[in-house]
Amino acid sequence: MGYVAVKGGTKAIEASIKRLTYERLKESEIIEVKTIMATMRSLVDQVMSESSLYSPFLAALSIKQAEGSMEEAVFIMRAHRSTLPRLYYSQTVESESMFVERRISASFKDIPGGQLLGATTDYTHRLLDFSLLDERVKQNEEWVKAYELELANIKATDKVSYFPKVVEYLRKEGLFDTYEADDTKPVDITKENLPFPAPRSARLQVLTRGQTGAVTALGYASLRGYGQVHPTVGEVRVGALPVYVDQPNGTGQNHEDPYYIGEIKVSEVESFVPVSTKNQKNEAELEFEIGYGVCYGQNETKAIAMSILDQCLEHPESNFPTHDEEFVLLHIDSVESTGFISHLKLPHYVTFQSKLDSVREVKKEGKE
Amino acid sequence: MKRRRRTEILIQDDTTLAKQLAEGLLQNYTYREIVAPHYGLTMVKMRESAKNSLFYIGEVLVTEAKVEINQHVGIGVVQGMEDELALQLAIIDAAYNANLPQTKEWHDLLLQAEAEITMKKAKKQAELFETKVNFETMDN
Repeated sequence: MGYVAVKGGTKAIEASIKRLTYERLKESEIIEVKTIMATMRSLVDQVMSESSLYSPFLAALSIKQAEGSMEEAVFIMRAHRSTLPRLYYSQTVESESMFVERRISASFKDIPGGQLLGATTDYTHRLLDFSLLDERVKQNEEWVKAYELELANIKATDKVSYFPKVVEYLRKEGLFDTYEADDTKPVDITKENLPFPAPRSARLQVLTRGQTGAVTALGYASLRGYGQVHPTVGEVRVGALPVYVDQPNGTGQNHEDPYYIGEIKVSEVESFVPVSTKNQKNEAELEFEIGYGVCYGQNETKAIAMSILDQCLEHPESNFPTHDEEFVLLHIDSVESTGFISHLKLPHYVTFQSKLDSVREVKKEGKE
Repeated sequence: MKRRRRTEILIQDDTTLAKQLAEGLLQNYTYREIVAPHYGLTMVKMRESAKNSLFYIGEVLVTEAKVEINQHVGIGVVQGMEDELALQLAIIDAAYNANLPQTKEWHDLLLQAEAEITMKKAKKQAELFETKVNFETMDN
């Protein structure tokens, strides 16, 4: 058999796309984008985080179009993003300005400002709730009304509180190193190729847009022994960060008076990692370093796993794969990994025939 | 009122203050559209708390509009797909840049809206404080 180069399949592809539409429509059910936004918060958050584009509306639309496939939804969002102009860069967002909705520490029970559980599945029974099968709008509205009535009695102050970071208290005690604000312009991996060794800014950008499952798996691998980082979570916080942009150049106005454009919800984590060091007398000492994780939306598992990998990548001297930045950073992107795996479905007739020919040749020689 | 503060109020306000101010202004002035409301991206730069360095967390979808009133340019930029609001913000911004007399009259309305926003946020925070953990130490 000789090499087989092929073309064609246009009609089959058209029929396949029709079939795909049929699969989505045949049950005569329509899920509205606003329904996805209202009821699938976590899914919307993950799509925004992995596509690196904050827009709950577009994320919900992509989920609808992709029929719930995460990799498709993220792919569609990334493709859409590439059609839009980059109009602004934000001013630096500082997480002390977060309106905190949830904040916990696994390191201290008493943290200034207290531990705020917010909305979480952490303390729920993971049993299927069959009552949801009979859910009624009216019933739900009554529940909400009763809950709001309960909340109405809560007295509020006339001020909003902002919480300092747990780590800042430890820094003040001298237990953690302090760092001067480093305003080095970050590398933007959407504008330039990821360089190796990767600057810290590039590492964090790749990690924060990494696929949730991949980031979690590698963070877990490090915990289980394929890495040297086993942290204690210093603080997990979830909340909304305000975003400001400067006036674009050339409009001749005051650059120190920015525009507020809205807020983004994020999950942010500082993990405390014990590290052995030697003091000036060459005696072994235990110190703490901080692993940092953050991502769009409420996705605490990903943010914690990111903080582990951040700390791993700060120590490339270790031989474990989770400390190897090429291994970690080049394999966690959703579009890159699913795209490359998917390409295996594309015709490889010529290359495979060539391999077959080689095998046949070897076998023939063996018989002779 | 500084732009930072007024844009915070106009965007966080959940009534129709921006619409009200912009429409009121257009009874006496006309505007020239420089850039019609369109969608684009803002790259968000963030400071991380481990090494205190900067990185990009990702992009945010925004709507931007640009108008001109009395030869003063105004920009409206807001997160999401908000064509009308972006245009209204641009008109209001142009009014401030042109120092139009109406902007003085808006001051109290903006302060009132700001107080309302703060009150709602403080109430939401007080509600969230219901989930604050009260640890009890277990003694022998």
